[in-house]
Amino acid sequence: MTRPVRSRWILPLGLVAVPAFHAAWATQYLSVAEAQRAMFADADAFHVLPPVDAALATELGGAGWSPQVFEAGKGGARLGWFIVDRVIGKTELITYALALDATGAVKAIEILDYRETHGSEVRLAAWRKQFVGKTAHDAVELDRDIKGISGATLSTRHVTEGVHRLLQLHERALRVAG
Amino acid sequence: MEIARARPWLGTLVEMRVDGLAEARAITAIEAAFAEVAAVHRLMSFHDAASDLSRLHRARVGAVVHVDARTWAVLDAACALAEESDGRFDPTIAPHLVERGLLPMPAASRGSASASWRDIELLPRRRVRLRERAWIDLGGIAKGHAVDRALACLRAAGAATASVNAGGDLARYGIEPERIALRHGDAGDAPVIELGDAAVATSVVATRARAAHVNPRSGRALRARRAVSVLAANCMIADALTKVVLADTRIGERILRRHRATACLRDGERRWRILGAA
Repeated sequence: MTRPVRSRWILPLGLVAVPAFHAAWATQYLSVAEAQRAMFADADAFHVLPPVDAALATELGGAGWSPQVFEAGKGGARLGWFIVDRVIGKTELITYALALDATGAVKAIEILDYRETHGSEVRLAAWRKQFVGKTAHDAVELDRDIKGISGATLSTRHVTEGVHRLLQLHERALRVAG
Repeated sequence: MEIARARPWLGTLVEMRVDGLAEARAITAIEAAFAEVAAVHRLMSFHDAASDLSRLHRARVGAVVHVDARTWAVLDAACALAEESDGRFDPTIAPHLVERGLLPMPAASRGSASASWRDIELLPRRRVRLRERAWIDLGGIAKGHAVDRALACLRAAGAATASVNAGGDLARYGIEPERIALRHGDAGDAPVIELGDAAVATSVVATRARAAHVNPRSGRALRARRAVSVLAANCMIADALTKVVLADTRIGERILRRHRATACLRDGERRWRILGAA
C-alpha cells in the first residue's frame, strides 16, 4: 500500500483587495474530427450538409445561429447525424457535439471545448502576485499548473436548451430532407 | 497521455481525466465512469418522474418503497449527517426550495415544509418508508456520491492518475498532487488547494435574492457573500459538509473534525479561515 498523496491549502498572502476577477479558464476535450470518430466509430464518411435555412435558423436559435451539420454514413447508408453547436452562458462559451442515430434519437453528447469569457491579463497578474513566495514553484507557474476549478456550480442549462433546439432542427429540416 | 472528456450530467458539466492507461482502455474506463454518473442522475433526480425519489414522493405515507442500493446508501449518508449536524444538513428542505423557485414543483406529489429527515425511515433490504409527506432533495450530496463512484471506476481500471469534476465537486488521486483553483463568487483573492488523494467541494451563497442555500432549521435564506470549500477523503462528505459549515460554523467545525476534513471559509468581509482537523 503506498502512502496517499497529501493535500494542502495555499492561501493568498494578506488581504489584498483584488478587483473582481476570474482567471480565464479554457479546456479543449475533443476536436471535431476526434468527436466524429468517438461518437460514430463505425462511420466511414461524414458529409457536410448545407447551412440551415436562414429563416428556420433565426426562428430556432436567433439571428446568426449556424450549427455545423454532418451526415454520418457507412457504405453509402446513413448512420445518423453529427452536429456541432455553441452555447453562450453568463460566463462561458461551450462548444459541443450531438450525435443522433438514424431514427433521430440522441446517441451521445460530448463537450468539445469549454472556455470562460471572463478574465483579463491585468487581473491575472494581480492574482498571481499574491502567491509569490508561498509555494515552491514561482508565481507565474502557479496558474499554468492549475488543473481544475472548484467553485459555484456551473449550470449546463444552455447546453440542454441547445440540444432541444437541435432536436427541433432535426425534426423540421433533417429528417424530412433525408 | 492524458485523456479528458466532459459531458453534461447532474445539471452541470462533468469532466473526467485519466492518465497512465492506453487510450482504448482509458476511453472504456471513462465510458463506465460516465455510466455511473448517469445512473446516479437517473435514480436521484428530484424532478424526473421515474427516479427513486419521485416514486417515494408519490407513495402513500407509511408505504414501503424499494429503491436502488445506491439511492439507499446516499439516503443513509444524508440522514446520518442530518443527525450528527442536528439538522444543519437536511435532505427534506425541498419544500422551501420549491417555494423559492429553486426546484421545480413536482406534479404528482405534495411535500410538507414541516417534515424533517427524521421522517425518512431506512429499512433493511433497500427499503424506505416516509412517515410524513416529505420531499427529499439529494442535490447537496448525490453529486459528490456520483463523483466518488465515477472515480472508483477509473481507479478500478488501473489509471495511475485520475480526476472527476462535477461542476466543482472534484475528487482525484495520483502520483503527484494537483492544484485546483477555488472560485468563491467574485472574490479575486481565492485560495488554491493542492489536492492529493482527496476530494474538494465548494458552495457559494450568491448575493442575489434567489440564493440557493437555505438554513434547514429556520427555512430562511443563508447570509449572502459567504463561500466555503471543504477538503475531505471523499466527495460525498465534502459536498454535504459545505452545507453544514455555511449553516452553522461552530457545528460545522466539530463535524469537520469528526470526518478528518478541513474547510476554507470566506466570510462576508472577504476573510479566509481554515476550519476543521489540523
